[in-house]
Order: sequence, then C-alpha cells, then structure tokens
Amino acid sequence: MVEFAFSDIVWNLLLALRWTALLSVVAFIGGGAVGLLVLLARLSSRRWLRRLTRGYIEVFQGTPLLMQLFLTFFGLSLVGLDVPAWLAAGLALTLFTSAFLAEIWRGCVEAVPRGQWEASSSLALTYLEQMRWVILPQALRLAVAPTIGFSVQVVKGTAVTSIIGFVELTKAGTMITNATFQPFLVYGLVALFYFLLCFPLSLCAKSLERKFHAAR
Amino acid sequence: MAYQFDFSSLSGYGDLLAKGAGLTVSLTVVGGLAGVAIGIAGAWARSRPVPVLAPVVAAYVEVIRNTPFLVQLFFLFFGLPALGIKLGEFQAAALAMVVNLGAYSTEIIRAGVQSIPRGQIEAAMSLAMTPLQIFRHVVLIPALKKIWPALSSQVVIVMLGSSVCSQIAAEELTFAANFIQSRNFRAFEVYFVVTALYLALSILLRWLLSRLGQALFERRRHG
Amino acid sequence: MKTMLNSALKSAVVALSLLCLPVVAHAQDALESITKAGVLKVAVPQDFPPFGSVGPDMKPRGYDIDMAELIAKGLGVKTELVPVTSANRIPYLTTGKVDLVISSLGKNPDREKVIDFSLPYAPFYNGVFGPEGLSISGPEQLAGKVVGVTRGSIEDLELTKVAPATADVKRYEDNNGTISAFLSGQVELVATGNVVAAAILEKNPPKKPLLKFLIKNSPNYVGINKGETALTEKVNAIITAARADGSLDAISKTWLGAPLPASF
Repeated sequence: MVEFAFSDIVWNLLLALRWTALLSVVAFIGGGAVGLLVLLARLSSRRWLRRLTRGYIEVFQGTPLLMQLFLTFFGLSLVGLDVPAWLAAGLALTLFTSAFLAEIWRGCVEAVPRGQWEASSSLALTYLEQMRWVILPQALRLAVAPTIGFSVQVVKGTAVTSIIGFVELTKAGTMITNATFQPFLVYGLVALFYFLLCFPLSLCAKSLERKFHAAR
Repeated sequence: MAYQFDFSSLSGYGDLLAKGAGLTVSLTVVGGLAGVAIGIAGAWARSRPVPVLAPVVAAYVEVIRNTPFLVQLFFLFFGLPALGIKLGEFQAAALAMVVNLGAYSTEIIRAGVQSIPRGQIEAAMSLAMTPLQIFRHVVLIPALKKIWPALSSQVVIVMLGSSVCSQIAAEELTFAANFIQSRNFRAFEVYFVVTALYLALSILLRWLLSRLGQALFERRRHG
Repeated sequence: MKTMLNSALKSAVVALSLLCLPVVAHAQDALESITKAGVLKVAVPQDFPPFGSVGPDMKPRGYDIDMAELIAKGLGVKTELVPVTSANRIPYLTTGKVDLVISSLGKNPDREKVIDFSLPYAPFYNGVFGPEGLSISGPEQLAGKVVGVTRGSIEDLELTKVAPATADVKRYEDNNGTISAFLSGQVELVATGNVVAAAILEKNPPKKPLLKFLIKNSPNYVGINKGETALTEKVNAIITAARADGSLDAISKTWLGAPLPASF
C-alpha cells in the first residue's frame, strides 16, 4: 500500500478542512438570507403563505441532508440542468440551513411580547415596517446565541457533501484510512479538527447567551 | 439516451425497506428515551455546585456537541473492542445515539432549568420540600414544558442522524437504501422512496411528541 | 407577491412533470462528444485499494485509474478522473456527469437493465480470510459464522450467492469498515481481495487474515450508459488490444502482484 507520513495525514486533512470551512460559510450566509425570507413568510398574516412555508420547513427538517444533496445534484441533472457540484452543495446546504434558522428565529420573534405588535400596528406601520423597526431588533438579541449555536450543526453537516464529490474533512479522513488502514489515528485527528473548528463557536454562543441573559 | 424511472424494480425489496424502517424506529425509541433520561440527569448535575460532577458533565457535553456523530459511532464500534468491550452494531448504534442525544438534551433541559425563576424554588424550600421533590415538581416539569419543542426537534434530528449507522452495517433505513441500490443500481428510485419514508417518520414522530407533550404538561397547568 | 407565487407554483409543476418524463440528457452520441471535447470523464474509486485509493498527494491511483488512462490513450483524449463511492458511482454515469465508470464493477442481471458493460478488464482474486486456528475450507462452512464484506463490491455479490442462509453477513460502507471490523473482532471472517489481505498482513496486526478459500473468480467490467453502442465497441476494442499487447498484464502485475490468469 501507499506510505503516508504523519505529516502527510495532518496536511491533507488541513487542506480538506478548507472545504469544510468554505461550505459552512456559504451555507450559513445563504441560509441566513433565505431563512429571513422564510421567516417573514412563516409569520405572514396570509394563511396559504404560512402553510407553504410550514411545508417547506417540514420537508427540509424532516429528511436527511444526505438525501437532499443527492436529489439536488443528480436530480437537477435528470431534468437537464447540469449544475456544478459546488452550486448544488451551496443550494442544498442553503435550503437546509434556512429551514432551521427560520424556525429558530420564529421562536425568538414569538418571544417578543404581544404588546409590541399591537403598539406598532396602532402606529399604522405596515407588516414589513413593524418587522424592520420594532420586532426584529428585539428578536435579534434573543436570536444571536442560538444562531451561532446552530452554526456548529452546519459545520458538521457539511460532511455529507462528499456524496456529490467534495473532499471535505470527513471524506479526506475516510480516503486516508482506506489507504493507510489506521482508522484510530486518522479519525482521532478528524474529530480533533472538528472540535477546534466548532468549540470556539460554541464558546462564543455561550458567552453571548450569558451576556443577554444578564442584560435582561 | 434517457434515464427511465422504474419504481417496479423495488418491488422485491419491500421487506428490506420495512425492516430498515423498523430498525430506524427502534434506534430512535431507545436513543430518545435513554438520551432524554441522561439529559435530565445531566441538567440536574449541572444545576448544583458539585465540585467534580459538574465539570465532567460540561466536558462530556462539549466533546459530543463539537464532534461529528459518525466519529463518535466509529469509536464506540471499532474502538471499544480494544478495551475488551464488544458491542454488536445495534448496541453500538443505539449507545451512540443515547450518548449523542444525552449531551444535546442536557444542554436543552439545562436552559429550561435556568429559566425557572429563583423565587419559585425559594417558595418551595419554604414549604419544606426535599431537594429532589423541588427539582422534580418545581424545576423539572415546568422546565421540560418550556423546552419541549426544542427537545422534540432534537429527537427528530437524532432520528435522521441515525442514517450514518449504516456505515457500521446496522441495517437501518439508509442501509436498506444503499444495499438495494448496490444490487439493482436504481439509486434515484430508492432514494426517492427512502426520503419519503424519512419524511413520513419525522412528521409522525413530531406529532407523537407533541401529543405526548400535551398529555404530560397540559393537565398540570390547571391542576 | 401573488403573481410571484403563481409563477413559482407553475415552475414547480413544470419541474415535477419534467421529472416524470423520460428525460433526454445526452442527445449527442457519447463517443462523438468525448472526441470533440478531448476529455474522457471517468468515475474511479478512491476507497477501494488496490483498484483505487489515494496517495499522499490525495490523487487517486490504482488498477482502475491505470485502466482509465489506458482507455483515454486509446481514444486519443485526456482523462478527467472523478472520485466516486459505491453509493454515487451509477448516478454519476446515468446523469451524464461522467462518460465511463471504471470502479471495480461486477455484473448482474438487474444491473444490466440500467447500464451496459464492456468486456472484462480485470480479474478479481477474492477470498474469505480469517485468523489462524479457524478451520474453514468452503462456503458451506460459513454457516453460523459472522463474515464482513464491503457492500456492493464484487465479493459482496459473489458471497451473497454462495454463503448459506445461516451465515451472518455484515456489509460495511467501504474497505476500511470491513477491515476495521475484522481487526477489532466485530467479525470473525472477511471476504475481500487477495491484495487487500496482503496489505493488512504487511502491517503485521495482532489478528492475521489468512486465506481460507477462494470465492468464484469474477471479473470487473467498465460501466457505460445504455445505448452508447459506438463507445462500448471502441472500449471493447481497446481492452482486447491491451490484452493482446501485454499492457493489461503489466497493470495487473503492478497492482495485483500477479499476471492475468491464463483463462482471462
């Protein structure tokens, strides 16, 4: 078999870590933007719109991300849209993330006291104005910590993009183990790298949570 | 050349899919019950200033939450035998789910516990309730009620996460999918069906959990 | 807002109905478009040594990769290697993202309904391996035994055919899972290729996989989309020529450590 030095293993995992980080950032930014739209639709006064978004959230929260990726990448090809893997991965991760963020944020919006809605509507603000000036700024404070907390899930979720050809951290780990037959060393390092990526995010979410709790 | 869908190619595999779905459900039931139990114990341990226990629980929670489930699973299945503990694939998969959900539910339940106003506990103490009575009636039940939706979502996430257990040859739903498509090369058909099954399972699970929540907490509100 | 939704709904309906239609993904003849592009896109394994695994540069190498290069040379084009797993190698082909799958494919009637196969390009030396002291000499003795195998591989297909119903076959995602299961004692025996077992032996593990018996020698085929007759014929011609001029023999010696069997 092929000889991998310890430094080869670490270096290749670090190279793959870039994909994990990049995909996470794309998922998080895309998911945040789409999630905001989904949130607005989910809280709309129109019933059909609420139902539609509920279905959207149900589908993306209720099926494995792996299947979502598979069907996005290969399914789009079947209908004649040959999208590159990065686009399919970005799209699927964005949809997945947006469904979760919209639900997290909805909880935060609903935690804003009812009176705030009533007061702002008595000022003749439209729905979007109410959101923009009254509700979201208050909900945002509550949302920061769980949002960053969820980013950890996004980072780990990127592992399944290997089904459409990405060599990210987990996949690189699998490939190297299959060449070296040293699962403990390799997966130990993989776990360590995920931890180094995720733990600061978790810590950050925690300290923000404490800060906002204290402020309340 | 065109790809022709042929769902009839799955006809001989109904049993396998049903068995797979059955195993996914069993894993979820075991993982859910034991995981939430650990979560309650963990939240309790972290709610009091015990010198050793609290930091140990905190470390457990952080390690599990910040590493991938797959890696945890590999360590339990391939790693424990080195220590003389050999688990079959079902036991290893179930244990991994328990350990994983235990960490998340510790965090979720702890957040609920923290949201109980101090005054409630003081009032209960003045009624001469024992610490365990206070934890159970004054802290835990109201806390669980508050975080029930978050906990339910986490159970659904763990159910979907069980799909990676196919990697240690646990024959759950994703294993069935990959087995079938390795025989007949009909990945699309299989994945469509399996995705629909997962969706049905998670809608059902969410519904059951919300009914359970109502049964557990609604009556007490007036009682 | 309303019109936006209407158009969104409409496009959803269109998308769904497209799904149900037989879709024309490759209007052009595959061989023609390969020659025109000057590139042959090949799905190769990266988790299945010695047919395909990665070196320290993370580039795939192995029997299947050399085979891809050989066919590309025969077609007078360059290769573009697409690393795949057993779960996604066929969708890559059927959706036209690759032209060929050279990923240690075995043949069975169900598979032949979905894709076409070339002539065989590689022999496969499969055996059931186990620790010293376990006396097994044929498939019927697997009864009651726990055997690990890599899901969807040739040895999986063959083992499933010959193993008695009471044998407990555990199917892992890749070679690594199968090997780890053997080394950690999760399974008593493994069905795998000679070369893989030899590679484990080289590492001198506490548990040595020794050959118990050989499974039927079933070869590997190149996978091609259905109806691409021109491409299939060309690939077959290249394989036949490579068998005659010894270049296939050389690949076999490099990766399998043995020349092609005389019967091949």
